[in-house]
Amino acid sequence: MAAQEKPIRIIIGKVGCDIHERGALILARAFRDAGMEVIYLGRYQTADTVAKTAVDEDASVVALSDHTGSMRYIADEIVASLEKYGGSDIPVVSGGLIPKKDLPYLESLGVTGNFGPGTALPIVVEHIQKTVEKSRQAAKA
Amino acid sequence: MATQPENNENPSVVYDRSLGGMVRDATQAFIPLQEVYTPEDIQDTDYERDLNDPGKYPFTRGIYERMYRDRLWIKSFIVSYSTLEETNQAFKEYLANGQTGLRLLADLPIQSGLDPDHPSSWNAMLCGGISSYALETYEKMLDGLPLENVDYELAHMGMSSFLCCYSYLVAMMEKRGLDISTLRGAAINDPFRSKIVYGCPDFPTEIDRRITLDLIEFAVKNTPKWKAYAPNGVDPQQSGFTAVQEAAHVLAVATAVYTDLINERGISLDEVGATVFSMDAESDFFETLCMFRATRRMWAKIAKEKLGATTARAQSLRIGIRTSGLSLQTQKPLNNAARVTLQILSCVLGGVNSLDASSIDEAIGLPSREARLFNLDAQHIVTHEANVPLVADPLGGSYYVEWLTNKIEEEANQILQTIEDNGGMWACLESGWLRHQIDASRMRVQAEINEGKRLIVGVNAFEGEEGPINKAIENCAYKVPSKKMRQKTIADVKRLRATRDKEKVNASVVELYNATKEGRNVVRATIEASKAGVTLGETVGVIRMAYGYGYDPLNQIEAPAFITELLGGK
Repeated sequence: MAAQEKPIRIIIGKVGCDIHERGALILARAFRDAGMEVIYLGRYQTADTVAKTAVDEDASVVALSDHTGSMRYIADEIVASLEKYGGSDIPVVSGGLIPKKDLPYLESLGVTGNFGPGTALPIVVEHIQKTVEKSRQAAKA
Repeated sequence: MATQPENNENPSVVYDRSLGGMVRDATQAFIPLQEVYTPEDIQDTDYERDLNDPGKYPFTRGIYERMYRDRLWIKSFIVSYSTLEETNQAFKEYLANGQTGLRLLADLPIQSGLDPDHPSSWNAMLCGGISSYALETYEKMLDGLPLENVDYELAHMGMSSFLCCYSYLVAMMEKRGLDISTLRGAAINDPFRSKIVYGCPDFPTEIDRRITLDLIEFAVKNTPKWKAYAPNGVDPQQSGFTAVQEAAHVLAVATAVYTDLINERGISLDEVGATVFSMDAESDFFETLCMFRATRRMWAKIAKEKLGATTARAQSLRIGIRTSGLSLQTQKPLNNAARVTLQILSCVLGGVNSLDASSIDEAIGLPSREARLFNLDAQHIVTHEANVPLVADPLGGSYYVEWLTNKIEEEANQILQTIEDNGGMWACLESGWLRHQIDASRMRVQAEINEGKRLIVGVNAFEGEEGPINKAIENCAYKVPSKKMRQKTIADVKRLRATRDKEKVNASVVELYNATKEGRNVVRATIEASKAGVTLGETVGVIRMAYGYGYDPLNQIEAPAFITELLGGK
């Protein structure tokens, strides 16, 4: 990565009432250790808050965490909210308990990663670095 | 650690005699272990003072003289599927297969104190259980099931769930003309857990603290076989605590709440009777069973020496278990059968009184029916084929087990002292100290996993390939509720609001508000409100307003017009 490149600024969002926070907290630390600027909004957020924060804070990427199996509904809302606030260019990644049958749908929305529990932290970090890199290239092009 | 050969085309197999060798020399809770223990390691142990026979103070070896010969542990687990009808059917099937404790739960919005039509409910609605937004949902869910002298348990997170769901049970009994003093069971109600683990938004701590006392007081007077409160170590441990920290935590929670109860309500521990702790069974086999033994002994001493309990009942600790969900893995889920079975065994050897075994497919989704039946069968096999429960505390006297039990007590006592030095549990909650302890411990565990010092089979060791059996388990796990089911639930709550008797609703809302504001016990008012069809979200809102807080815990919606009108001038 070029020296003048800004560090990755990542928003971690948990939308709705899912209380399982361990994954989000462990990842927040791993992202920070990898040199990213981490904004973890905590639990009980709305999609609007997450999207608006991402736009206001000029985030490089939004990471969603959910363990209810409802990521497809959350992703729907996030994508719509990002569009509403003019942040459609911000890539979205996700992780948690995600039903396998929902993976193609999430990919079709442009939500990538979609990692399950126990994924090695470097794999998640690398995916985010690559995703941001790609989105920065696209912005330049 | 050694790696498998990478290239499958290479026919030569690497032989590594050390593959699969031990990587640890300490327990999960970081207690360093010797290779062997001898009489010297427990030379200070006095049988009568430190162990004694089962059923005798300090109850290290179990709280009943004949232990499982007289009563097996309660086989309990959460049954809470997306629909009321499905949950009702499942209870009937599981009871026929040997389930003896009916553990109730709700979806995450309800547990947070929100009705299904709250804007933040949609994403998690019907996930993890039913939407018990009002009494009518319990009437459907428990249709045809007995209420008297059956072990019910409430496993929710928020104080509002304990208040409302207990009220639903009592209201149902009263409506059916049953004697409410025959209501049996326990609520895993713990005002610390709802905040440090869940950050539950329903009420601030001052309200949680008061309603906990209201619930205990009401139960002691009206439903004495119902334990309205149970310090919970399961979720703090799942969030990061070690077994030692968990033991210290539940003891400190119990001390804090009972101190309030004695000082503010004048109710003694003798009146409360036995205490229930809800604890975790993690994968470290000996540490888990020793934690139960140490915790029973420590509680007996605290109850007697600090809290003035004089009866054996009030000094004895019933331990209810939920085996670790965190230890279960999505990778090669068949392996979870081995994990759960070992955890069940450590619970039985540790003399627990009720057991909620996690399911092999739980890391993938809600437990499927067959996975639940496996939980029951595994316990039947431990009982009837392995003959484990025949003899009380069969490991008592083992040099290692007694040393480790002593060691856990010693380390937990140090933590209890630190908590006291920090101003006690309520101060430790408010200052964020407790939360910090959980975070720090979680990071320490995660660092060991990253460094390969803590191996999890299928995850960071022995990854291997999944075959058809594992794939079948993945495909059988319970599926997430559809949009249609969620929409129907919203329609149901709206229909209830439109059809209930407005006068009764209004009167009960005003009484709930007044009882809360005037410092009277809120439980009776909540029971009457639930009979009138007041919803859980409305109950939360009215109690909050009586304290001067906004109606909505998440500050996203206004109070309904009729409530503002009723309470506006107050």
